[in-house]
Amino acid sequence: MHQFQVYRLGPEIKLGNVDLSFTNSSLFMLISALSICIFLYFGSKKKGIIPSRLQLVAEIFYNFIAKMISDTAGSKAKPYFPFIFTLFMFVLLCNMVGMLPYSFTVTSHIIVTLVMAVFIFIAVTIIGFVKHGLKYLSIFVPKGVPVVLLPLITVIEIISYLSRPVSLSVRLFANMMAGHTMLKVFGSFVISLGLLGGWLPLSFSVALTGLEILVAFLQAYVFAILTCIYLNDALNLHH
Amino acid sequence: MRREIPLIIFIFWFETFLFAAEAGMPQLDSKYWFSQSFWLILIFLALYLSLSKFFIPKIKDNLDNREKKIEENLNAAKEFTDLADKKKLDYDNEISNAKKEVAKIINESKKQLDKNINKKKNEFEKELEKEINKAEKEILNLKKNSSKSINSIAEEISEKVIENLTGEKLNNSSIKASIEEVSKIKMDKYL
Repeated sequence: MHQFQVYRLGPEIKLGNVDLSFTNSSLFMLISALSICIFLYFGSKKKGIIPSRLQLVAEIFYNFIAKMISDTAGSKAKPYFPFIFTLFMFVLLCNMVGMLPYSFTVTSHIIVTLVMAVFIFIAVTIIGFVKHGLKYLSIFVPKGVPVVLLPLITVIEIISYLSRPVSLSVRLFANMMAGHTMLKVFGSFVISLGLLGGWLPLSFSVALTGLEILVAFLQAYVFAILTCIYLNDALNLHH
Repeated sequence: MRREIPLIIFIFWFETFLFAAEAGMPQLDSKYWFSQSFWLILIFLALYLSLSKFFIPKIKDNLDNREKKIEENLNAAKEFTDLADKKKLDYDNEISNAKKEVAKIINESKKQLDKNINKKKNEFEKELEKEINKAEKEILNLKKNSSKSINSIAEEISEKVIENLTGEKLNNSSIKASIEEVSKIKMDKYL
């Protein structure tokens, strides 16, 4: 589908055999990142006791993420607040920018979400081993399980742990892609059914757009909260 | 069967249209995977650094400042209420003191006034008694005088009446004597 097509913008950049050209995907990542910076710049510029509207929104986001982290991962996760905040804002803005017509949805590409998920997976594993040493392996042995079941449970736990990056990345990618594909399908229904019958799919795609905006926010939230939960497993070993 | 022909045509048309929408998945084309990963890492890192070094501390500062200022203001407000309560107490005390003083002043002036009134009353009563005595004496004098003048008037009238009736002049002293006699008997009846 055309809306998911990645193409080169500007000159070709090659590092040895690897193509690192600036693409439309990179452009929309940049747009999202710059939007976040502009939003937060104006949201923290004035130091008023009574916040302006933009400042209020920025502070709501800040408090929202801070509360989410302290609820799921406790006070030990405070140093990771900037990372989770950045992650949430980046995914949210990428999803939202993708909702604009003629734009490109960065998060609808599996490679982008996979890179983020694999990074989180590796970082969480390293944090776990640094904090607890080899004791971190006890995460695969849940407490209160009968000894007979233990080999089976341990294997299941290892598989579920290793599948974390896949589930995390595929969840976001599949949601975004499915939503945009559905919008595209209903959009082409409008064109093909014409002035006479196009009204039904048109109203449907309006409703779907609303749903997609909700999904865009929800998936960013889910991505961030799952990261928090993984971080909690690594920081507080007992569960 | 004829009825279903439009439906079949519609389904065929619909199918071609569906397949037209599905022209493969560009997501699985590995041509730009490295480029996407590279730019993602670069942009995300830049965003992370600018947020953690610049924007997040600023927002945190704003929030902390607000909390601090609100707390300060609340404390100041509490101090002011305490002060106001104290002032109110002082004011109430002053008012009750003033009320006591007013009652005292009223009491004293009332006593003074009573005294004055009594004094004046006594003086007035004495004067009144004097006047009454004087008036009684006068009345008594008047009584006496009037009886005398009545007698003389009676003498004259009786002299004239006798003169007219008899054409003779009677002795004055005899008339006087008879009138005095009558008046002695009857004067008490009229006066």
